[in-house]
Amino acid sequence: MSLEGRLAAYISGRLPQAQNVVVDRLARISGGASRETYRFRLSWTEAGAGRSRALILRRDPPASLIDTERRIEFEAYRAFFGSDVPVPEMLWLEEESGPLDHPFFIAAEIEGFQAAPALLWTEPYLACHPKLADRKWTILGQIARADPEALGLTRVMEPVAPADCWSRELGYWEQVLDEDEAEPLPIIRAAIRWLRANPPPPPQRITVVHGDYRTGNFLFDTAGEIHGVLDWEMAHLGDPLEDLGWGFNPVWSFGRGQAGGLVPDHQAVAIWERSSGLRADPDALYWWTLFNCVKGQAIWVSSARAWIDGGNREPIMVYPPWALQNAQDRATLKVMGRL
Amino acid sequence: MKPNVSDVLMELSALVARNAAPDIPPTDRAGALGLTAALLAIAGRRWDDAAHNLVHENRELRKLLGLSGQDDDLRIPALTGENARLRAMLINRHAEIEGKDQQLEDAIWAELAASTVRRLTPGSPV
Repeated sequence: MSLEGRLAAYISGRLPQAQNVVVDRLARISGGASRETYRFRLSWTEAGAGRSRALILRRDPPASLIDTERRIEFEAYRAFFGSDVPVPEMLWLEEESGPLDHPFFIAAEIEGFQAAPALLWTEPYLACHPKLADRKWTILGQIARADPEALGLTRVMEPVAPADCWSRELGYWEQVLDEDEAEPLPIIRAAIRWLRANPPPPPQRITVVHGDYRTGNFLFDTAGEIHGVLDWEMAHLGDPLEDLGWGFNPVWSFGRGQAGGLVPDHQAVAIWERSSGLRADPDALYWWTLFNCVKGQAIWVSSARAWIDGGNREPIMVYPPWALQNAQDRATLKVMGRL
Repeated sequence: MKPNVSDVLMELSALVARNAAPDIPPTDRAGALGLTAALLAIAGRRWDDAAHNLVHENRELRKLLGLSGQDDDLRIPALTGENARLRAMLINRHAEIEGKDQQLEDAIWAELAASTVRRLTPGSPV
């Protein structure tokens, strides 16, 4: 049976009041090496009336560049839905492989907006950078301000003691490098030595960390408004400066020399501090920015490993290591003042 | 560059052939061929310089490590293997001398920075 047919059968089982359930216009969305993402139109009849809705399918690939629990991603989206942090509505989570070969979830599509960073440096988006930057780091501050327990996320996310935030994250990504690197990485290994020798202070509070909050992972419009924060697959509890530092990884300046390609770093920090009510200690933020260079390299290396081992031979798995591994080394040197 | 260029080119060849079939959905075809084009551009640039850069880099690494020798086998897999061996040794040497030999440390950092210039890809964000 086609993927459309299998999807329709699955959704029929979850909408007992629906009849004539049809899935069409199924199309894979480019990019997204950690999940296969499709958009489709769902049509059905209910109480004699025809209905339809634009939906998104996020399905695990055979092998991914990051190994994450889709339940945590699903619950993170669900926790923030309806809050000041705009996210798509989650509908169904399926953790078994039977219905569509791999675990997946289905969400409402937020239609009519863009995510591609390259568009931001073309008309008509050029004028929206200050507004977009304000929205971007205000929303990140709102994520940091949110109470993980009140959101219900302490039930699904692994707890961490404040003093252990840095060592848990660094240990995890260093292990990924140990297991997956296909060639020695002297720059990243030097960065890891520095990070271990100069640990940051504990966070002001434990917060939800999005884990991949950067330009490219939210939906924006020409006025600089953000309509959806996406890609929560690496969400966890930890130090909110981790999220701020990920966005300052120079790889995410897209060659523009500014935070997220939008504004100078100090402006982004000021917006975030105002929104979060927290202070971004410069030394701690430096540590988390350098850490995120290590994390980024671990992700690109994992992508290469998934391809080399044959688990996923999609070209999207080659692009990160080929296009970003050396850039990540250069970003690391830049952060360390060696470039 | 990992995965190896030759292995990726073989896979891309098969991918292009599959996308030549008339029944491939246009969005799938566009995604596959767009990425293929980007990867071919990177491969073309890096492949042309690969042997020259590896021989040069291996020579610099041997200098930093105080080793003699040269690359006699100029095939890319042999040069890449030797490069990996030398870079692994450099990691250990770098860790040993940090804070103890500023001159060598500076020389190592300078070579590491130079190595990223040799490995630059078109459109690199940094």
